[in-house]
Amino acid sequence: MSWPQDAIDLCTDRFGLTLCETEGATVEREQLVALATALKNELDFRFFVYVVSVHYPAVDPIPADEEKGTEAVDGIPDHTVVHYRLRRMATTERGTDTFAFRTTVPTGEDCPTVSDIWVGADWQEREQYDLVGTVFSDHPDLRRIMMPEDWPGHPLRRDYAIETQHFPWR
Amino acid sequence: MSVDENNENFEHPLFDYMEKIPGVDIGMTTADKVLSWGSRNSLWVFPMATSCCGIEFMATACGRFDLDRIGTVARGTPRQCDVMVIAGTITVKMAPRVKKLWDMMPEPKWAIAMGSCAISGDFYRNIYSVVPGVDTFMPIDVYVPGCPPNPDHLFEGFKRLQEKIKAKRDGTWVEPESRPVAGMQMPSVPRYGSPDRDPAYDAAQLMCTQNMDPGGGLLRPGVVLPQPAPPPEVEEDASEGSEA
Repeated sequence: MSWPQDAIDLCTDRFGLTLCETEGATVEREQLVALATALKNELDFRFFVYVVSVHYPAVDPIPADEEKGTEAVDGIPDHTVVHYRLRRMATTERGTDTFAFRTTVPTGEDCPTVSDIWVGADWQEREQYDLVGTVFSDHPDLRRIMMPEDWPGHPLRRDYAIETQHFPWR
Repeated sequence: MSVDENNENFEHPLFDYMEKIPGVDIGMTTADKVLSWGSRNSLWVFPMATSCCGIEFMATACGRFDLDRIGTVARGTPRQCDVMVIAGTITVKMAPRVKKLWDMMPEPKWAIAMGSCAISGDFYRNIYSVVPGVDTFMPIDVYVPGCPPNPDHLFEGFKRLQEKIKAKRDGTWVEPESRPVAGMQMPSVPRYGSPDRDPAYDAAQLMCTQNMDPGGGLLRPGVVLPQPAPPPEVEEDASEGSEA
């Protein structure tokens, strides 16, 4: 996946971000809304493809083992990575391109919403809240969208027990 | 009811259930037999089609197989229907709605569970949001297995339902001793935690999920997965000697 050059220039020059070949730009939460606004208003990324959250559970560090010859590995705190993907159509001179960026949200904190920038993000953020439990701050209507309203927990989190009891079938 | 008894070749299914009176164009029968014949040949269907089995139901209802041949018409409201065909996976959120629609149907009513998902949940059975078989919350008369069943299979299900209605009206119906066994066959590959499986596979699978790389890779750098033991070597001694 090669990203469009004007988006790369925007991320590196104005925001000072580093880009990944597969996942796009990694942006801090404080810069997320500014980057999204610039991508839409200045670079014509008007089509919101998806927002996907992935939950990473806390992992203890692995100490070095001299017998096996492995090195020490750092631990990971409990966090969620929120991926965004955008697309612009061939209605402008810039052509048809996709662009992606992502941000890291520690567990217990909120992610800024982009539903006021792209209306299509409204229900998708509700879906991510429903299944993964990511809370989007300033979202106009953050309710469950797929699971029953009284469902306990968020099923796509790694620490969700699949044997969760749900009356009367589970 | 008027019949033409002078025509010897005239055959009508009703002749099995009524006696002709000689000399006049009158046949006599009982109300039970007429009700039985009428109810099983005008089964109006409420298609509870939630997924791919619904496509097969549409194929059955359309011209090539033509469910109308046995007097079966699909209606969009439960108030006018006799049979509910549950075609598809029923989730925990959908189940109360299905039960409500079932309760809205007037008596007498019957239900057909079409496809593996409606019967037992099939491979969605262990998913957090899927009901393990619709017979956990409502009575089912006929089970039509398949994933999805052919239109022929659904037709066979309707024929079985007709036989059941007739037997119940006649009082000859015998309730089967056991329901179909709910559950799946064991998979050919041993599952996580099975004693038939090398524990190294389980450990590697657990480490894979716990050590995903936030940078996008499968594993974060530095993590080494445990290797399963190689299969035991077969000793070649007695058979080789006998051949020689």
